[in-house]
Amino acid sequence: MRNDDDDVAIEYDDDERRLFSELPREVSLSAGEADRVIHRLKGDGFFRPRTKKWRWGLAAAAAVVVFAAGAATGRFVARRDSLEDMLTQSNLSVGDRVLLLQRAGTAYVQAAQTYADATAHIDSGAVEVASKVLMGAAHAVARNSLDAGLSARLTTALQPSLVTPVSAPRRPVIWY
Amino acid sequence: MTIVPLPFDPPDTTLIRRFLKGDERAFRELYERHTPRLKMTVRRLLGRLGPDVDDVVQDTWLAGCRGIQSYRGDAKFSSWLTSIAARTVYAQLSRRNGRETDLRDDVADVNVGAPASSVDLERALAALPDHQRVVVVLHDVEGFTHEEIAEQLGMATGTSKATLSRARHRLRHMLTKGVTNAER
Repeated sequence: MRNDDDDVAIEYDDDERRLFSELPREVSLSAGEADRVIHRLKGDGFFRPRTKKWRWGLAAAAAVVVFAAGAATGRFVARRDSLEDMLTQSNLSVGDRVLLLQRAGTAYVQAAQTYADATAHIDSGAVEVASKVLMGAAHAVARNSLDAGLSARLTTALQPSLVTPVSAPRRPVIWY
Repeated sequence: MTIVPLPFDPPDTTLIRRFLKGDERAFRELYERHTPRLKMTVRRLLGRLGPDVDDVVQDTWLAGCRGIQSYRGDAKFSSWLTSIAARTVYAQLSRRNGRETDLRDDVADVNVGAPASSVDLERALAALPDHQRVVVVLHDVEGFTHEEIAEQLGMATGTSKATLSRARHRLRHMLTKGVTNAER
C-alpha cells in the first residue's frame, strides 16, 4: 500500500508527520481473548479433531474385504474343476464322465503309490496294501466292464499265483 | 493424533493453511501475531475505548475466518484483516449515525499552548466526526490508498479524498486551538 496523497487534501507539516509516526501501533491483548474467539470458532465447526483413525479403520476394512474377496475367488477357481466338485455334479456328459473316471483312477493310483512310498520304511506291508487297493480298483473296473475287458485281462495277469517268478524281470503295468 | 511442531516463526500463509486443517495452535499464533495491531486500529477507528473494541476485534476475526477462503495471499494478511475491521466499524458507526457528537464529550481536550504530542493527536482523532476519523486513520495511519478505502467503505474515491481533506483541516485546527475551541 502507498499513500497517494491527493490534490485536495492539505499536506501535514513535519511536526504533524512526527505526531503520526509516534502514534502507538499496538495494544496488549487481554487475558482469554484468543480463547473466546476460538470458542466461537469451534461453534462454527472449526478445529474439529481430524484424526486419521477413521481413515485407518476404513483402510483396514477395505483390506479385509479385498482379502476375503480374493480368498473366495481363489477357492471358487480352485474348486471349479476339482475332482471333488466334478464328482458332485450330476449333469456331466458321457465324455466328461470318462474324463472324470480317468482322473479319479489316476488319482487313486497315485494315492496308493504315495501311500506305499510314504509308509514303506515303517510298514513292510504297505506295498502289499497298496497293491491290493490297486487290485480292488482293477476288479471294480473289470466288474463294470469299463474298459472292454482290458482290466479283466490285467487282473488275471496280476494274480499272485499267476505272476511270473521273482527272478523274472519286472514288467511295467500301465494303468491309465 | 500426532502433534507436528510449528516451524520457527512460520509465515502467515503456513499458519492459515494449518488453521484450515484444524490446527488450533496455528490459529492462536496467528491471533497473537495480528491482534495487538488490529485492536489498536479498531480502537482508533471507533475513537474510544470500551467493550465495543473487543467486540469488533472478535467480529473481525470471526468474519475473517469464515471468509478466509477468499484470502488469496496477494495482500498482507494484516491489511486484509484491517479491511474487514474497517468495514465492521464503519457499519457500526453508520448504524448509530446522528449520535456521534455525543462521543466528543468523552474526549479530553488538547493541551493548548504546549507542543502537541501523539496523545493530543489521539484525542484530536477521537474528536473527529466518525466518517472523517475512519478515513484519516485508514489513510494517514494505516496507509491505505483512497481506492482501497473507497472499496472497503463503499464510497466514491472522490468522497474519500474530500473527507480526508476536511479531516486534516479539522485535525490541524484542533491541534492548535484545542478540541473544545475548535468546535466553536
